[in-house]
Amino acid sequence: MARNRSWVVAMADFKAAMALRFVKFGILGLGSLGPIMVVATVVSTVLLLPPGPDYDMLMLFMAPMVSTMLALFSVIPASMISANSFVGEKEQNTLEPLLATPLTDGQLLLGKLLASFIPSGIMLFGGTAVSIVAENVILMSLGRPFTLLPDVPGIIFISLAGPAMILAVVSLMILISGRVSRVYEAYQVSMLVALVLIIPMIVPSFFIGAGLDQSLVWTTYMATILMAIAIMAVTMVLAVKRFNRDTMIRLT
Amino acid sequence: MEESVEVRILGLTKNFDQIVAVDHMELNVPEGSIFGLLGPNGAGKSTTVRLLCTLLKPVEGTAEVADFDILQAPVKVREVTGVLPEEANHTLYPAMSAYGNLEYFGRLYGVSEEDLPGRIQELLEFMELWERKDDKAGELSTGNRQRLALCRALLHGPKVLLLDEPTAALDPVAAKRVRELILSLSQKSGQTFFINSHNLAEVQRICDRIAIIDEGRILLTGKTAELREKLQAQQEYRIRVAGDLSEAESVVKSADYVESVQSEVDSLLVVITDPIENNSRLMRTLLDAGVKIVEFAEEEATLEDLYLEVIKGGAS
Repeated sequence: MARNRSWVVAMADFKAAMALRFVKFGILGLGSLGPIMVVATVVSTVLLLPPGPDYDMLMLFMAPMVSTMLALFSVIPASMISANSFVGEKEQNTLEPLLATPLTDGQLLLGKLLASFIPSGIMLFGGTAVSIVAENVILMSLGRPFTLLPDVPGIIFISLAGPAMILAVVSLMILISGRVSRVYEAYQVSMLVALVLIIPMIVPSFFIGAGLDQSLVWTTYMATILMAIAIMAVTMVLAVKRFNRDTMIRLT
Repeated sequence: MEESVEVRILGLTKNFDQIVAVDHMELNVPEGSIFGLLGPNGAGKSTTVRLLCTLLKPVEGTAEVADFDILQAPVKVREVTGVLPEEANHTLYPAMSAYGNLEYFGRLYGVSEEDLPGRIQELLEFMELWERKDDKAGELSTGNRQRLALCRALLHGPKVLLLDEPTAALDPVAAKRVRELILSLSQKSGQTFFINSHNLAEVQRICDRIAIIDEGRILLTGKTAELREKLQAQQEYRIRVAGDLSEAESVVKSADYVESVQSEVDSLLVVITDPIENNSRLMRTLLDAGVKIVEFAEEEATLEDLYLEVIKGGAS
C-alpha cells in the first residue's frame, strides 16, 4: 500500500526544518519558554504571598496572562518551520521535481501545513500540560491546594485560538513563500508575521482585572477566539486560492 | 499501420510577459520513440518540457501525454511522466542520502511500500550507485547525482520520460553511459523519450526523430534518417588539388550545378546538386581545365548542416 502523500511531505518537511540548527534550537527554546515562564510566575507568587484572599485573587488575575503566554509561544515555532517550506525547496532547487510528482495542490498544501501544525500543536498542548503538572507539583510540595492555571476558560482559549493562529501563520507563510526566494528572507518575514499575529493573542492579558468578573473573562476569550478563527479562515482560503505552480516555477 | 502517438502538442503557446517562449507549437511524438527537441539556448525547449509535465500552464493550446490532457488531467499526466529537469544534478535533496531521495519521491509517486525497496535497489544497481546508497546526495559527484536524478525519474515506471539536457553537465564518459542507458531503456521497456538538447551529435546518435525549435516555433520535424536523406539531395565534396587553389576555385564556380564553394587551406568544399549525376561531371570539368586533383571525397552530411541551415532561416 502507498503512504499518504501529504503525510510523506509533512515528515520530510519537518525533518528538513529540524536539520537547521537555529530552527531546531529556536523551536525547542521557544517551546519550553512558555511553560518555564508560567511555572516561574506561579512559583514566585507562591513564595511571595502566604495562603489567603490576596493569594486567591492574584491567581485569578494571572489566569488570562498564563493562557496568553502559552498560546503565543506556539505561534512562533509554526512561523519558523513554515518559513522553510516552499522557500527551502526553491533555494535547494527541489521545487521543480516536487511539483512534477502527482501531488495535487491540496495534498501538497496539507503536507506543508501539517509539517508546521503538528509540532506547534504538540508544543501548545504539551506545554500547557507540562505547566499544569509542574506548577502543581511545586504548589503541593509547598502545602498549597491544587490550582488549575490556565483555568477552564483559558484552556478553552488555548485549544481553539492557539491552533487557529498556528494555521493562520502557516497559511500566511505559504502565501509569502511564493514571493520570496531565499530562506533567510523568509525567516525575517516569518518573524514579522508572528509578531503581528500574536497581537490578538495578547488581548486577554489586557483584561487581567477581568479575572474577578467571569462573564468579562469569557467575553474576552470568545472575542479573541472568533478573531483568531476569522484570521485563520481568510488566510487559509487565500493560501489555497492563490497557490499557483506556474508562478512558483517562474519565480525560481 | 498508423503509429500510436504518445505526446500530442496542439497549438501550445506560452509567454512570459512580452516574451513568447513557445509559439503555437504543433508536434506528435510516436509511442516508444526517442524524440529529440533541438534548438539553441532560449529557444523554448525547457518551457516545452515544463508545459508537458504541467509545471507551467499554457496561455493557448494544449497537449496530451499518454492520452491525458495537460489542462484537464494534470495529475494523471504527472503520474505517467518522469521528469529530469534542467541541471537535474542540482535538484536532489542534498542532506538526504541517495536512497532517501528515491524513497521520498517513490512515495510521492505512489509506489507501494512493498515494491519500493526492490525498485530502488534495482535502479541503483543498474546505475552502479548501490554502493553509494547511504551517501548524502550533496556529497556525490556531478555524474552520480545526474544518474541519481535519472533513477528518480524512472522510479514509478513512467510511460513518457521528459529529459531536459540529460548529459549537459556530464563528462564524456558519464554522458556516454547516460546515452547507453536511454537506448537500453527504450529497447527494454518501450518507454517514450522526449529529450531536449542542443547537442547535435548526441541527438543524431540516439534519437529516431527530431524537431528543430527556435524562438518558440518548430522549424522542422521528421525522422532522423529521413532528414539525413533530405540532406543528401545535395552533397558536399572536399577537393584537394596540387597547385593553384584559386584557379581550381574559378573553374568550379563556372559549373551551373555548383551551389557553393568554400576554400579551406589546401582544399575546396564544394556543394553540388543532384550528386549522383553531377559528381563525375565536376571531376571531368576540373581535369579538362588542367587541375591536378589529389583528393575528391564525399563529406559526410550531418544534422549540424541541417540544423545550421534551418536556424539561419532556410527551413523548408
